Amino acid sequence: MSKGLKADLGKCTGCQMCMLVCSGSHVGKFNPSEARINVEDVFPEPGEFKINHCVHCDEHPCVEACPVEAIKLNDKLGTYFVDRETCTACGACVDACPYNGCWIDPSGSYSIKCDLCDGDPQCVAVCPKGVLKWGD
Amino acid sequence: MAPDGYTGKVLRVDLSSEKISTEPLNKEWARQFIGGKGLGARYLFEELKPGIDPMSPENVLSIWTGPLVGTLVPLTSRYVVVTKSPLTGTFLDSYAGGFFGPEMKYAGFDGVIIKGKASKPVYLWLNDGKVEIRDARNVWGKDTYRTEEVIRKETGEKMARVASIGVAGENLSLISSVTNDLTRNAGRGGTGAAFGSKNLKAVAARGTLGVEVNDMDSLLPMVKEMIKTDVVGNPDHAGMITDGTPVLVEMSNDAGILPTRNWHDGVFDGHEGINSESIKTRVLVRKRACFDCALACGSWSKVKAGAFSGAATEGPEYETLGLCGSNCGIKNVEAVIRFVEDCDRHGLDSISAGNAVALAMDLYEKGILSKGDVNGLDLRFGNEEAYAKMPGIIAERKGIGDLLAEGALRAGRKIGHGADGMVMHVKGLEYPAYDPRGTIGMALAYATSDRGACHLRAWPVATDAYGSADPWSTEGKAATCVEDQTRTSVKWSFIFCDFYGVNFPNMAKYYSAATGYPSSEEELRKTGRRIWNLTRAFNFREGFARKDDTLPERMMNEPLRSGKTAGKAVPKESFEKMLSEYYALWGWDEQGRPTKAALTDAGLGDIASKLPGLG
Repeated sequence: MSKGLKADLGKCTGCQMCMLVCSGSHVGKFNPSEARINVEDVFPEPGEFKINHCVHCDEHPCVEACPVEAIKLNDKLGTYFVDRETCTACGACVDACPYNGCWIDPSGSYSIKCDLCDGDPQCVAVCPKGVLKWGD
Repeated sequence: MAPDGYTGKVLRVDLSSEKISTEPLNKEWARQFIGGKGLGARYLFEELKPGIDPMSPENVLSIWTGPLVGTLVPLTSRYVVVTKSPLTGTFLDSYAGGFFGPEMKYAGFDGVIIKGKASKPVYLWLNDGKVEIRDARNVWGKDTYRTEEVIRKETGEKMARVASIGVAGENLSLISSVTNDLTRNAGRGGTGAAFGSKNLKAVAARGTLGVEVNDMDSLLPMVKEMIKTDVVGNPDHAGMITDGTPVLVEMSNDAGILPTRNWHDGVFDGHEGINSESIKTRVLVRKRACFDCALACGSWSKVKAGAFSGAATEGPEYETLGLCGSNCGIKNVEAVIRFVEDCDRHGLDSISAGNAVALAMDLYEKGILSKGDVNGLDLRFGNEEAYAKMPGIIAERKGIGDLLAEGALRAGRKIGHGADGMVMHVKGLEYPAYDPRGTIGMALAYATSDRGACHLRAWPVATDAYGSADPWSTEGKAATCVEDQTRTSVKWSFIFCDFYGVNFPNMAKYYSAATGYPSSEEELRKTGRRIWNLTRAFNFREGFARKDDTLPERMMNEPLRSGKTAGKAVPKESFEKMLSEYYALWGWDEQGRPTKAALTDAGLGDIASKLPGLG
């Protein structure tokens, strides 16, 4: 069973406030390109939003694919996060993920993916339309 | 230096010499004028020679963001085009939401100042501090939707954001706009012609540099709280969340101020076909927000069947429903969607275009224009088939379109037979969708706005026609205008969206946390007065004064016909009385000229010293 964020796409308006708060809290600046969640909008056709993020699946092929064991277990949550210091930005996790849940940071120096803010996901706290949910 | 929300960089491009340079933002001016409107006005005042032709290479075209743009401070996604208006010759600031503004900032720039004229069509490409002037041959002649698509392909950046002109701007229509993210427009005053006259098709941006604020640790919790209490939970925003601006159609119709059939009436028999309910039940696909907006007032709407099947837009917004709907006698939102999608694609301001088409319809029904004059169309009020062809005709300057592309006033003057007297405008900018004969405060708001008839500088209709104050009493209206103009001068400098009813204390809180500069309501009020005095000084330098702060005679001598406003007009003496009161409140003279004392008091002593002839 997936332990990640759940997104009710029908409610999404594409405001990207999730991306703003994610970058603000992870890297100390507002920069959607450095967010661990990504909202794609496809207008005028078909006129919908797609939200990419790590779903924290049980199979975690990213962990298996990583050649340097940079994707580590958060014991508290039972989910995996990328250890920036160890990651070499080789992209193996990006290729292995079937959910488009991780990608290389714009600096090109490491892979980024949702770490659930260590149990207090900021995107969930900010989302004004109740699109994003986590936990029960 | 500690981060302060600004990128700290201004880009300069001379399209004649193809010279590109980057310079530090003038931080002293940033402290005095914030960003957006204020900062844009300060640079423009400094760099534009008075009296130049706005369509000449000497005009200065600039695009600005503000210190909060690109941050999580809610509803701050806007950019502004600042220039001398091709349509009115006044100061011009035209805003648009969407995604372009933040992207320009993430690409590294607070502002872009463009001078000269390219020898062939070009677009600017801003990418993480790097700038290119690129050949626009592949997009010239293409509509704005296609332009966005092609530029994304050419730059290889699928996340690039594009502010472009359509065929209307290329053909130098004075009512052309700059369009971004398909449906968002820096619409008013001929911004498209300002681009077109420089052979500039678009400015495109992609940035991954981000925006750094002074105090992230205090800003984040504050903003999270404000989103809940001051934005989503603010009862004043309830209508914006459920309906968006179309909620105003019924309110205006009830108040008798909904522009109807070229301003001959304030009540429209077809209002039910263009109101918010009709959008929600007939065409709404989903709500769609601008970047960083917790309200999401926009409605992505698509026509499902009939003659206009497949037409889609975000909206239509109230101003479009009023001017392109009721004012053209159009009773179906589906037709309005066809019309406004074509306005966006061709890069036309729907407020001005709606007024221009309504004028042509009026003249056609009166027999002043024949069928031959109007491209063989049966251009009666309400004839959807003919009406829907008009945006293309105007943008391509075909037949009657060649006249209407100049804006309603110039078209009226060329047509003659008193046609110019039928145009509702101030300084050549066509009215937005509130008839001042049922909201006398708006008469003053239109007359004194720094860019011509505008609803975004002061909005006294909120308290009179829509509120409990007497819509025909002049009591307190001058003070309301002064207050609104002071507040919006600050709002448009940060740049907040119109639809966030943010007050001065909260603006001061956001400002301090983002920039680290101490701030207060009192200080921001002073900044607002400084900015409004500055644009007044700009317009004074261009020759504008009380003689131009006027309304068309029709407002005074042609009463409305039905509903609450039946028999009502704007009494000339009431209007003049309000105007004198208004000038006195600002400390300007009886002729509406700013005074040395008022400018100096607002912190504009240096500006005052550059203006000969001040009292």
